[in-house]
Amino acid sequence: MTLFAVGVMIVARGPGVAADAAYGEYLAQECATCHGADAEDASIPPLPSLRYEELVAALKAYREGTRPNPVMQSVARSLGDAEIEALAAYFSGQS
Amino acid sequence: MMTDEAGGRTVGFSRRQFTRSSGGLGLATATVGFPVPLRSQARGRVVVIGGGAGGATCARYLAKDGQGVLAVTLVEEQPRYTTCFYSNLYLAGWRDFDSIAHGYDGLEAAGVEIAPMRAVGVDPVAKSVRLEGGEMLTYDRLVVAPGIDLDYDSIERYSEQTAEIMPHSWKGGVQTKLLRSQLQAMPNGGLFVITAPPDPYRCPPGPYERASLVAYYFTQTKPKSKILILDAKDSFSKQALFEEAWNTYYKGMIEWVPGEFGGTVASVDPKGMTITSAAGDVHEADVANVVPAQEAGRIAHEAGLVDGGGWCPIVPASMRAQNQSDIFVLGDAAIASPMPKSAFSANSQAKVVAMTIRSELTGSRSFPARYRNTCWSSLAPDDTVKLGANYEPGEDKIESVDPFISKVGESRDMRMKNRQEADAWYDSITADIFG
Repeated sequence: MTLFAVGVMIVARGPGVAADAAYGEYLAQECATCHGADAEDASIPPLPSLRYEELVAALKAYREGTRPNPVMQSVARSLGDAEIEALAAYFSGQS
Repeated sequence: MMTDEAGGRTVGFSRRQFTRSSGGLGLATATVGFPVPLRSQARGRVVVIGGGAGGATCARYLAKDGQGVLAVTLVEEQPRYTTCFYSNLYLAGWRDFDSIAHGYDGLEAAGVEIAPMRAVGVDPVAKSVRLEGGEMLTYDRLVVAPGIDLDYDSIERYSEQTAEIMPHSWKGGVQTKLLRSQLQAMPNGGLFVITAPPDPYRCPPGPYERASLVAYYFTQTKPKSKILILDAKDSFSKQALFEEAWNTYYKGMIEWVPGEFGGTVASVDPKGMTITSAAGDVHEADVANVVPAQEAGRIAHEAGLVDGGGWCPIVPASMRAQNQSDIFVLGDAAIASPMPKSAFSANSQAKVVAMTIRSELTGSRSFPARYRNTCWSSLAPDDTVKLGANYEPGEDKIESVDPFISKVGESRDMRMKNRQEADAWYDSITADIFG
Protein backbone atom coordinates (compact mmCIF):
# COMPACT_ATOMS: atom_id res chain seq x y z
CA MET A 1 0.00 0.00 0.00
CA THR A 2 1.46 3.36 -0.95
CA LEU A 3 -1.14 5.20 1.04
CA PHE A 4 0.87 5.20 4.26
CA ALA A 5 3.77 7.01 2.68
CA VAL A 6 2.32 10.50 2.99
CA GLY A 7 2.53 10.90 6.72
CA VAL A 8 -1.19 10.89 7.37
CA MET A 9 -1.58 11.46 11.08
CA ILE A 10 -3.93 9.08 12.80
CA VAL A 11 -5.27 10.91 15.82
CA ALA A 12 -6.81 7.89 17.44
CA ARG A 13 -8.26 4.60 16.39
CA GLY A 14 -11.12 2.57 17.64
CA PRO A 15 -14.88 2.51 17.59
CA GLY A 16 -16.55 5.86 17.95
CA VAL A 17 -13.28 7.78 18.03
CA ALA A 18 -12.42 10.02 15.13
CA ALA A 19 -9.55 8.53 13.16
CA ASP A 20 -8.42 10.80 10.35
CA ALA A 21 -11.75 12.26 9.29
CA ALA A 22 -10.15 14.64 6.76
CA TYR A 23 -8.54 11.69 5.04
CA GLY A 24 -11.87 9.94 5.29
CA GLU A 25 -13.58 12.88 3.63
CA TYR A 26 -11.22 12.58 0.67
CA LEU A 27 -11.67 8.80 0.46
CA ALA A 28 -15.45 9.22 0.72
CA GLN A 29 -15.52 11.23 -2.49
CA GLU A 30 -14.96 7.91 -4.26
CA CYS A 31 -18.07 6.48 -2.57
CA ALA A 32 -20.26 9.36 -3.75
CA THR A 33 -20.07 8.19 -7.36
CA CYS A 34 -22.39 5.28 -6.58
CA HIS A 35 -23.77 6.00 -3.10
CA GLY A 36 -24.73 9.63 -3.63
CA ALA A 37 -28.42 9.40 -4.44
CA ASP A 38 -30.50 9.22 -1.30
CA ALA A 39 -33.59 7.59 -2.75
CA GLU A 40 -34.88 5.10 -0.20
CA ASP A 41 -35.52 2.34 -2.73
CA ALA A 42 -32.11 2.62 -4.39
CA SER A 43 -30.29 -0.69 -4.53
CA ILE A 44 -27.08 1.08 -3.57
CA PRO A 45 -27.67 2.38 -0.02
CA PRO A 46 -26.78 5.88 1.17
CA LEU A 47 -23.79 5.67 3.53
CA PRO A 48 -24.19 8.36 6.20
CA SER A 49 -26.96 6.27 7.72
CA LEU A 50 -24.43 3.67 8.85
CA ARG A 51 -22.69 3.66 12.23
CA TYR A 52 -18.91 3.47 12.68
CA GLU A 53 -18.84 -0.19 13.71
CA GLU A 54 -21.19 -1.20 10.90
CA LEU A 55 -19.04 0.47 8.27
CA VAL A 56 -15.79 -1.01 9.56
CA ALA A 57 -17.31 -4.48 9.74
CA ALA A 58 -18.89 -4.22 6.29
CA LEU A 59 -15.75 -2.97 4.56
CA LYS A 60 -13.58 -5.61 6.23
CA ALA A 61 -16.05 -8.33 5.24
CA TYR A 62 -15.99 -7.13 1.64
CA ARG A 63 -12.20 -7.01 1.74
CA GLU A 64 -12.02 -10.58 3.01
CA GLY A 65 -14.60 -11.71 0.45
CA THR A 66 -17.10 -12.93 3.04
CA ARG A 67 -19.70 -10.37 1.98
CA PRO A 68 -20.84 -10.61 -1.66
CA ASN A 69 -20.65 -7.98 -4.38
CA PRO A 70 -17.63 -7.88 -6.68
CA VAL A 71 -17.67 -4.07 -6.94
CA MET A 72 -17.42 -3.57 -3.19
CA GLN A 73 -14.95 -6.43 -2.78
CA SER A 74 -12.71 -4.74 -5.32
CA VAL A 75 -13.12 -1.32 -3.68
CA ALA A 76 -12.44 -2.71 -0.20
CA ARG A 77 -9.27 -4.49 -1.29
CA SER A 78 -7.83 -1.05 -2.06
CA LEU A 79 -8.35 0.02 1.57
CA GLY A 80 -5.98 -0.63 4.47
CA ASP A 81 -7.22 -0.58 8.08
CA ALA A 82 -6.34 3.13 8.35
CA GLU A 83 -8.44 3.93 5.27
CA ILE A 84 -11.39 1.90 6.54
CA GLU A 85 -11.26 3.62 9.93
CA ALA A 86 -10.91 7.05 8.32
CA LEU A 87 -13.96 6.39 6.16
CA ALA A 88 -15.97 5.11 9.10
CA ALA A 89 -14.97 8.15 11.17
CA TYR A 90 -16.03 10.47 8.39
CA PHE A 91 -19.38 8.84 7.66
CA SER A 92 -20.36 8.26 11.27
CA GLY A 93 -19.66 11.94 11.92
CA GLN A 94 -22.10 12.91 9.19
CA SER A 95 -25.23 11.41 10.65
CA MET B 1 -21.28 41.17 -14.70
CA MET B 2 -18.96 38.46 -13.66
CA THR B 3 -17.99 39.81 -10.27
CA ASP B 4 -19.61 41.63 -7.44
CA GLU B 5 -17.32 44.38 -6.20
CA ALA B 6 -18.81 44.47 -2.74
CA GLY B 7 -18.44 40.84 -1.86
CA GLY B 8 -15.86 39.61 -4.27
CA ARG B 9 -18.13 36.63 -4.84
CA THR B 10 -18.65 35.48 -8.36
CA VAL B 11 -22.21 35.64 -9.55
CA GLY B 12 -23.85 33.96 -12.51
CA PHE B 13 -24.19 35.71 -15.81
CA SER B 14 -26.31 35.07 -18.81
CA ARG B 15 -24.94 34.79 -22.33
CA ARG B 16 -26.22 38.30 -23.05
CA GLN B 17 -24.62 39.76 -19.95
CA PHE B 18 -21.45 37.87 -20.65
CA THR B 19 -21.23 39.26 -24.16
CA ARG B 20 -21.79 42.78 -22.86
CA SER B 21 -18.87 42.47 -20.51
CA SER B 22 -16.64 41.21 -23.29
CA GLY B 23 -13.09 42.39 -23.18
CA GLY B 24 -13.21 43.45 -19.58
CA LEU B 25 -13.32 40.02 -18.09
CA GLY B 26 -9.64 39.32 -17.57
CA LEU B 27 -9.10 42.78 -16.17
CA ALA B 28 -12.11 42.61 -13.89
CA THR B 29 -10.96 39.39 -12.30
CA ALA B 30 -7.55 40.85 -11.62
CA THR B 31 -8.75 44.04 -9.95
CA VAL B 32 -11.86 42.99 -8.10
CA GLY B 33 -12.07 43.79 -4.41
CA PHE B 34 -12.09 40.95 -1.91
CA PRO B 35 -13.81 40.45 1.39
CA VAL B 36 -11.72 41.47 4.36
CA PRO B 37 -10.24 38.08 5.32
CA LEU B 38 -9.02 37.57 1.79
CA ARG B 39 -7.87 41.07 0.97
CA SER B 40 -4.21 40.30 1.54
CA GLN B 41 -4.31 37.35 -0.78
CA ALA B 42 -5.95 37.14 -4.18
CA ARG B 43 -8.37 34.27 -4.64
CA GLY B 44 -6.99 31.41 -6.68
CA ARG B 45 -8.63 31.31 -10.09
CA VAL B 46 -9.47 28.00 -11.72
CA VAL B 47 -10.94 27.71 -15.19
CA VAL B 48 -12.48 24.40 -16.25
CA ILE B 49 -13.12 23.81 -19.96
CA GLY B 50 -15.89 21.31 -20.64
CA GLY B 51 -19.02 20.52 -18.61
CA GLY B 52 -19.20 16.75 -18.99
CA ALA B 53 -18.61 14.01 -16.43
CA GLY B 54 -15.03 15.12 -15.74
CA GLY B 55 -15.20 18.90 -16.04
CA ALA B 56 -18.48 19.41 -14.20
CA THR B 57 -17.41 17.15 -11.32
CA CYS B 58 -14.10 18.96 -11.02
CA ALA B 59 -15.68 22.43 -11.09
CA ARG B 60 -18.33 21.48 -8.53
CA TYR B 61 -15.84 19.90 -6.12
CA LEU B 62 -13.45 22.84 -6.43
CA ALA B 63 -16.21 25.32 -5.65
CA LYS B 64 -17.84 23.20 -2.96
CA ASP B 65 -14.62 22.34 -1.12
CA GLY B 66 -12.84 25.61 -1.92
CA GLN B 67 -15.34 27.36 0.38
CA GLY B 68 -15.16 30.67 -1.41
CA VAL B 69 -11.37 30.81 -1.50
CA LEU B 70 -11.29 29.62 -5.09
CA ALA B 71 -12.99 31.37 -8.00
CA VAL B 72 -14.13 28.62 -10.34
CA THR B 73 -15.39 29.24 -13.88
CA LEU B 74 -16.77 26.49 -16.08
CA VAL B 75 -16.59 27.17 -19.81
CA GLU B 76 -19.40 25.22 -21.45
CA GLU B 77 -21.47 26.41 -24.38
CA GLN B 78 -24.35 23.93 -24.04
CA PRO B 79 -26.99 24.87 -21.45
CA ARG B 80 -27.72 21.20 -20.81
CA TYR B 81 -25.55 18.10 -21.00
CA THR B 82 -26.99 14.90 -22.44
CA THR B 83 -25.08 11.93 -21.08
CA CYS B 84 -23.69 9.54 -23.65
CA PHE B 85 -23.76 6.93 -20.89
CA TYR B 86 -27.29 5.52 -20.64
CA SER B 87 -28.13 6.86 -24.12
CA ASN B 88 -28.38 3.22 -25.26
CA LEU B 89 -31.23 2.76 -22.76
CA TYR B 90 -32.96 5.69 -24.44
CA LEU B 91 -32.42 3.98 -27.83
CA ALA B 92 -34.03 0.83 -26.39
CA GLY B 93 -37.06 2.92 -25.41
CA TRP B 94 -36.48 2.33 -21.69
CA ARG B 95 -35.75 5.93 -20.72
CA ASP B 96 -37.05 9.21 -22.00
CA PHE B 97 -34.69 11.81 -23.36
CA ASP B 98 -35.17 14.26 -20.48
CA SER B 99 -33.97 11.64 -18.01
CA ILE B 100 -30.48 11.67 -19.54
CA ALA B 101 -30.20 15.48 -19.85
CA HIS B 102 -28.80 17.60 -17.01
CA GLY B 103 -28.42 21.33 -16.44
CA TYR B 104 -25.87 23.33 -14.49
CA ASP B 105 -28.04 24.85 -11.75
CA GLY B 106 -26.38 22.58 -9.19
CA LEU B 107 -22.95 23.85 -10.16
CA GLU B 108 -24.07 27.46 -9.90
CA ALA B 109 -25.57 26.71 -6.50
CA ALA B 110 -22.17 25.35 -5.41
CA GLY B 111 -20.57 28.66 -6.49
CA VAL B 112 -19.33 27.78 -9.96
CA GLU B 113 -19.59 30.56 -12.49
CA ILE B 114 -20.74 29.34 -15.88
CA ALA B 115 -19.29 30.94 -19.02
CA PRO B 116 -21.80 29.75 -21.64
CA MET B 117 -19.41 29.96 -24.53
CA ARG B 118 -16.84 27.96 -26.42
CA ALA B 119 -13.15 28.09 -25.52
CA VAL B 120 -11.10 28.58 -28.68
CA GLY B 121 -7.56 29.05 -27.42
CA VAL B 122 -5.21 28.74 -24.47
CA ASP B 123 -2.12 30.84 -23.80
CA PRO B 124 -0.12 28.87 -21.21
CA VAL B 125 2.41 31.70 -20.77
CA ALA B 126 -0.15 34.44 -20.09
CA LYS B 127 -2.27 31.78 -18.34
CA SER B 128 -5.40 32.75 -20.18
CA VAL B 129 -8.23 31.10 -22.06
CA ARG B 130 -9.66 32.83 -25.12
CA LEU B 131 -13.38 32.44 -25.69
CA GLU B 132 -15.21 32.77 -28.97
CA GLY B 133 -15.75 36.49 -29.49
CA GLY B 134 -12.32 37.28 -28.06
CA GLU B 135 -13.03 37.45 -24.32
CA MET B 136 -10.21 36.26 -22.08
CA LEU B 137 -10.35 34.35 -18.82
CA THR B 138 -7.20 34.29 -16.71
CA TYR B 139 -6.33 31.34 -14.52
CA ASP B 140 -3.94 30.08 -11.89
CA ARG B 141 -4.82 26.51 -12.80
CA LEU B 142 -6.63 25.29 -15.91
CA VAL B 143 -8.56 22.04 -16.24
CA VAL B 144 -9.07 20.81 -19.81
CA ALA B 145 -11.91 18.29 -20.06
CA PRO B 146 -13.29 18.57 -23.59
CA GLY B 147 -14.12 14.89 -24.11
CA ILE B 148 -13.76 13.49 -27.59
CA ASP B 149 -13.83 14.83 -31.10
CA LEU B 150 -14.78 12.53 -33.95
CA ASP B 151 -12.08 11.92 -36.52
CA TYR B 152 -14.23 12.30 -39.61
CA ASP B 153 -11.17 11.97 -41.85
CA SER B 154 -10.69 8.37 -40.69
CA ILE B 155 -13.54 7.26 -43.00
CA GLU B 156 -13.71 8.46 -46.60
CA ARG B 157 -16.71 10.75 -47.28
CA TYR B 158 -17.74 10.78 -43.60
CA SER B 159 -18.24 14.31 -42.27
CA GLU B 160 -20.35 16.39 -39.91
CA GLN B 161 -22.90 16.73 -42.75
CA THR B 162 -22.88 12.98 -43.49
CA ALA B 163 -23.45 12.36 -39.77
CA GLU B 164 -26.87 13.99 -40.16
CA ILE B 165 -27.81 11.06 -42.41
CA MET B 166 -25.54 8.37 -40.95
CA PRO B 167 -25.33 9.47 -37.29
CA HIS B 168 -22.45 8.59 -34.97
CA SER B 169 -24.59 9.26 -31.88
CA TRP B 170 -21.37 9.05 -29.87
CA LYS B 171 -21.96 12.43 -28.25
CA GLY B 172 -25.19 12.83 -26.35
CA GLY B 173 -27.83 15.23 -27.69
CA VAL B 174 -29.34 15.75 -31.13
CA GLN B 175 -27.35 12.84 -32.55
CA THR B 176 -28.87 10.49 -29.97
CA LYS B 177 -32.37 11.64 -30.89
CA LEU B 178 -31.63 11.34 -34.60
CA LEU B 179 -30.62 7.69 -34.33
CA ARG B 180 -33.70 6.88 -32.23
CA SER B 181 -36.03 8.45 -34.80
CA GLN B 182 -34.28 6.60 -37.66
CA LEU B 183 -34.65 3.29 -35.83
CA GLN B 184 -38.33 4.03 -35.21
CA ALA B 185 -38.88 4.79 -38.90
CA MET B 186 -36.99 1.72 -40.12
CA PRO B 187 -39.19 -0.98 -41.73
CA ASN B 188 -39.49 -4.46 -40.24
CA GLY B 189 -36.85 -6.57 -41.96
CA GLY B 190 -34.43 -3.66 -42.36
CA LEU B 191 -30.68 -3.74 -41.76
CA PHE B 192 -29.11 -1.65 -39.00
CA VAL B 193 -25.34 -1.28 -39.37
CA ILE B 194 -23.09 -0.11 -36.52
CA THR B 195 -19.44 0.57 -37.22
CA ALA B 196 -17.25 0.13 -34.13
CA PRO B 197 -14.12 2.30 -34.02
CA PRO B 198 -10.48 1.37 -33.44
CA ASP B 199 -9.02 1.80 -29.94
CA PRO B 200 -8.88 4.07 -28.07
CA TYR B 201 -12.39 5.46 -27.99
CA ARG B 202 -15.10 6.59 -25.57
CA CYS B 203 -16.98 3.76 -23.80
CA PRO B 204 -15.31 0.52 -25.00
CA PRO B 205 -18.42 -1.72 -24.53
CA GLY B 206 -20.74 0.96 -25.95
CA PRO B 207 -21.12 -0.29 -29.54
CA TYR B 208 -21.95 -3.81 -28.34
CA GLU B 209 -24.39 -2.63 -25.67
CA ARG B 210 -26.00 -0.51 -28.37
CA ALA B 211 -26.32 -3.55 -30.67
CA SER B 212 -27.89 -5.52 -27.80
CA LEU B 213 -30.44 -2.87 -26.85
CA VAL B 214 -31.39 -2.03 -30.43
CA ALA B 215 -31.83 -5.79 -30.93
CA TYR B 216 -34.16 -5.79 -27.93
CA TYR B 217 -36.12 -2.91 -29.47
CA PHE B 218 -36.34 -4.81 -32.78
CA THR B 219 -37.63 -7.98 -31.09
CA GLN B 220 -40.47 -5.89 -29.66
CA THR B 221 -41.34 -3.89 -32.77
CA LYS B 222 -39.76 -5.22 -35.99
CA PRO B 223 -38.48 -8.76 -35.35
CA LYS B 224 -37.41 -9.58 -38.91
CA SER B 225 -34.73 -6.87 -38.79
CA LYS B 226 -30.98 -7.57 -38.65
CA ILE B 227 -27.99 -5.88 -37.08
CA LEU B 228 -24.50 -5.88 -38.59
CA ILE B 229 -21.53 -4.73 -36.52
CA LEU B 230 -18.53 -3.79 -38.65
CA ASP B 231 -15.58 -3.63 -36.29
CA ALA B 232 -12.10 -2.20 -36.76
CA LYS B 233 -10.96 -4.53 -33.95
CA ASP B 234 -10.58 -8.31 -33.66
CA SER B 235 -11.94 -8.50 -30.10
CA PHE B 236 -13.88 -6.24 -27.75
CA SER B 237 -14.77 -5.44 -24.16
CA LYS B 238 -16.96 -7.98 -22.32
CA GLN B 239 -17.02 -10.03 -25.54
CA ALA B 240 -17.97 -13.40 -24.03
CA LEU B 241 -20.81 -11.78 -22.08
CA PHE B 242 -22.22 -9.98 -25.12
CA GLU B 243 -21.94 -13.05 -27.33
CA GLU B 244 -23.71 -15.15 -24.71
CA ALA B 245 -26.56 -12.62 -24.66
CA TRP B 246 -26.79 -12.42 -28.45
CA ASN B 247 -27.16 -16.22 -28.57
CA THR B 248 -29.67 -16.27 -25.75
CA TYR B 249 -31.92 -13.35 -26.60
CA TYR B 250 -31.31 -12.33 -30.20
CA LYS B 251 -30.34 -15.53 -32.00
CA GLY B 252 -29.66 -14.91 -35.69
CA MET B 253 -30.27 -11.18 -35.43
CA ILE B 254 -26.77 -9.81 -34.75
CA GLU B 255 -23.71 -10.45 -36.90
CA TRP B 256 -20.29 -9.19 -35.79
CA VAL B 257 -17.53 -8.81 -38.40
CA PRO B 258 -14.07 -8.34 -36.86
CA GLY B 259 -11.35 -6.30 -38.53
CA GLU B 260 -9.46 -9.38 -39.66
CA PHE B 261 -12.51 -10.55 -41.66
CA GLY B 262 -13.36 -7.27 -43.34
CA GLY B 263 -14.87 -5.26 -40.48
CA THR B 264 -12.72 -2.16 -40.93
CA VAL B 265 -14.67 0.62 -42.67
CA ALA B 266 -12.96 2.49 -45.51
CA SER B 267 -15.72 4.73 -46.86
CA VAL B 268 -19.40 5.59 -46.66
CA ASP B 269 -21.91 6.90 -49.20
CA PRO B 270 -24.82 8.73 -47.59
CA LYS B 271 -26.80 8.88 -50.87
CA GLY B 272 -26.78 5.13 -51.46
CA MET B 273 -26.67 4.42 -47.68
CA THR B 274 -23.72 2.14 -48.30
CA ILE B 275 -20.71 1.34 -46.15
CA THR B 276 -17.62 -0.09 -47.85
CA SER B 277 -15.03 -2.09 -45.94
CA ALA B 278 -11.28 -1.91 -46.43
CA ALA B 279 -11.57 -5.31 -48.13
CA GLY B 280 -14.06 -3.85 -50.66
CA ASP B 281 -17.28 -5.40 -49.29
CA VAL B 282 -20.27 -3.08 -49.77
CA HIS B 283 -23.08 -3.12 -47.20
CA GLU B 284 -26.36 -1.35 -47.86
CA ALA B 285 -27.98 -0.17 -44.62
CA ASP B 286 -31.48 1.02 -43.76
CA VAL B 287 -30.04 2.76 -40.72
CA ALA B 288 -26.28 3.37 -40.44
CA ASN B 289 -24.68 4.27 -37.12
CA VAL B 290 -21.16 5.25 -38.16
CA VAL B 291 -18.86 5.66 -35.16
CA PRO B 292 -15.50 6.84 -36.45
CA ALA B 293 -12.07 6.90 -34.80
CA GLN B 294 -11.74 9.52 -32.07
CA GLU B 295 -9.29 11.99 -30.58
CA ALA B 296 -9.14 14.55 -27.77
CA GLY B 297 -11.55 17.49 -28.13
CA ARG B 298 -10.43 20.40 -30.30
CA ILE B 299 -9.37 22.77 -27.52
CA ALA B 300 -6.80 20.22 -26.28
CA HIS B 301 -5.19 20.44 -29.72
CA GLU B 302 -5.36 24.25 -29.72
CA ALA B 303 -3.70 24.30 -26.30
CA GLY B 304 -0.83 22.14 -27.51
CA LEU B 305 -1.61 19.32 -25.09
CA VAL B 306 -1.90 16.38 -27.50
CA ASP B 307 0.69 13.89 -28.70
CA GLY B 308 1.01 12.48 -32.23
CA GLY B 309 -1.93 10.15 -31.63
CA GLY B 310 -4.27 13.05 -30.83
CA TRP B 311 -4.64 12.41 -27.07
CA CYS B 312 -3.13 14.17 -24.03
CA PRO B 313 -0.22 12.65 -22.07
CA ILE B 314 -0.64 13.18 -18.31
CA VAL B 315 1.31 12.64 -15.11
CA PRO B 316 -0.31 9.57 -13.49
CA ALA B 317 -0.18 10.90 -9.92
CA SER B 318 -2.22 14.03 -10.65
CA MET B 319 -3.59 14.11 -14.24
CA ARG B 320 -1.36 17.14 -14.79
CA ALA B 321 -0.47 17.71 -18.44
CA GLN B 322 3.03 16.36 -19.04
CA ASN B 323 4.11 19.53 -20.83
CA GLN B 324 2.26 22.22 -18.78
CA SER B 325 2.58 22.45 -15.01
CA ASP B 326 -0.51 24.65 -14.51
CA ILE B 327 -2.82 22.61 -16.75
CA PHE B 328 -4.61 19.38 -15.93
CA VAL B 329 -6.35 17.13 -18.47
CA LEU B 330 -8.98 14.67 -17.41
CA GLY B 331 -11.61 12.38 -18.82
CA ASP B 332 -11.75 11.01 -22.34
CA ALA B 333 -9.15 13.47 -23.69
CA ALA B 334 -6.39 12.16 -21.39
CA ILE B 335 -4.17 9.14 -21.91
CA ALA B 336 -5.12 7.28 -18.74
CA SER B 337 -5.05 3.75 -20.17
CA PRO B 338 -5.65 1.15 -18.78
CA MET B 339 -8.49 3.26 -17.34
CA PRO B 340 -11.22 3.17 -19.99
CA LYS B 341 -12.63 6.39 -21.40
CA SER B 342 -15.79 6.41 -19.31
CA ALA B 343 -17.86 8.82 -17.25
CA PHE B 344 -16.90 6.89 -14.11
CA SER B 345 -13.19 7.28 -14.91
CA ALA B 346 -13.62 11.00 -15.65
CA ASN B 347 -15.56 11.55 -12.43
CA SER B 348 -12.88 9.70 -10.46
CA GLN B 349 -10.01 11.61 -12.09
CA ALA B 350 -11.83 14.91 -11.50
CA LYS B 351 -11.75 14.41 -7.73
CA VAL B 352 -7.99 13.83 -7.77
CA VAL B 353 -7.53 16.97 -9.87
CA ALA B 354 -9.80 19.05 -7.61
CA MET B 355 -7.97 17.85 -4.50
CA THR B 356 -4.57 18.58 -6.08
CA ILE B 357 -5.49 22.06 -7.29
CA ARG B 358 -7.12 22.99 -4.00
CA SER B 359 -4.00 21.89 -2.17
CA GLU B 360 -1.73 23.89 -4.48
CA LEU B 361 -3.79 27.08 -4.34
CA THR B 362 -5.09 27.05 -0.77
CA GLY B 363 -2.58 24.92 1.15
CA SER B 364 -5.20 22.31 2.04
CA ARG B 365 -4.01 18.77 2.70
CA SER B 366 -2.94 16.63 -0.20
CA PHE B 367 -3.61 12.91 -0.43
CA PRO B 368 -2.37 10.17 -2.75
CA ALA B 369 -4.29 9.82 -6.01
CA ARG B 370 -6.85 7.00 -6.13
CA TYR B 371 -8.72 6.16 -9.28
CA ARG B 372 -11.64 3.85 -9.87
CA ASN B 373 -13.84 2.64 -12.69
CA THR B 374 -16.94 0.48 -12.70
CA CYS B 375 -18.95 -0.06 -15.85
CA TRP B 376 -22.34 -1.69 -16.24
CA SER B 377 -23.62 -2.84 -19.65
CA SER B 378 -27.22 -3.81 -20.34
CA LEU B 379 -27.83 -6.90 -22.46
CA ALA B 380 -31.62 -7.20 -22.13
CA PRO B 381 -34.23 -6.06 -19.61
CA ASP B 382 -33.11 -7.32 -16.20
CA ASP B 383 -29.84 -8.65 -17.58
CA THR B 384 -26.93 -6.32 -16.89
CA VAL B 385 -23.24 -7.18 -16.55
CA LYS B 386 -20.41 -5.21 -15.02
CA LEU B 387 -16.68 -4.86 -14.76
CA GLY B 388 -14.44 -2.69 -12.65
CA ALA B 389 -11.00 -2.07 -11.21
CA ASN B 390 -9.03 0.14 -8.89
CA TYR B 391 -6.23 2.15 -10.45
CA GLU B 392 -3.02 3.48 -8.94
CA PRO B 393 -0.56 5.95 -10.38
CA GLY B 394 2.59 4.19 -11.57
CA GLU B 395 5.81 5.85 -12.63
CA ASP B 396 4.94 6.23 -16.32
CA LYS B 397 1.31 5.23 -16.48
CA ILE B 398 -1.75 4.48 -14.43
CA GLU B 399 -1.89 0.83 -13.36
CA SER B 400 -4.86 -1.47 -12.92
CA VAL B 401 -5.32 -3.27 -9.58
CA ASP B 402 -7.86 -5.96 -8.69
CA PRO B 403 -9.99 -5.96 -11.84
CA PHE B 404 -13.19 -8.03 -11.90
CA ILE B 405 -15.78 -8.88 -14.53
CA SER B 406 -19.18 -10.61 -14.54
CA LYS B 407 -19.13 -14.28 -15.46
CA VAL B 408 -20.83 -16.11 -18.29
CA GLY B 409 -23.73 -18.21 -17.02
CA GLU B 410 -24.46 -16.19 -13.87
CA SER B 411 -27.88 -16.37 -12.23
CA ARG B 412 -30.72 -14.23 -13.53
CA ASP B 413 -31.13 -12.89 -10.03
CA MET B 414 -27.59 -11.53 -10.01
CA ARG B 415 -28.03 -9.98 -13.46
CA MET B 416 -31.28 -8.35 -12.36
CA LYS B 417 -29.58 -6.91 -9.28
CA ASN B 418 -26.87 -5.53 -11.56
CA ARG B 419 -29.54 -3.67 -13.50
CA GLN B 420 -30.96 -2.14 -10.31
CA GLU B 421 -27.42 -1.27 -9.24
CA ALA B 422 -26.73 0.39 -12.60
CA ASP B 423 -29.87 2.52 -12.32
CA ALA B 424 -28.92 3.57 -8.79
CA TRP B 425 -25.41 4.37 -10.05
CA TYR B 426 -26.79 6.56 -12.84
CA ASP B 427 -28.79 8.60 -10.34
CA SER B 428 -25.81 8.88 -8.01
CA ILE B 429 -23.13 9.78 -10.51
CA THR B 430 -25.27 12.38 -12.25
CA ALA B 431 -26.03 13.91 -8.83
CA ASP B 432 -22.30 13.81 -8.07
CA ILE B 433 -21.42 15.46 -11.39
CA PHE B 434 -24.17 18.07 -11.66
CA GLY B 435 -25.20 18.60 -8.04
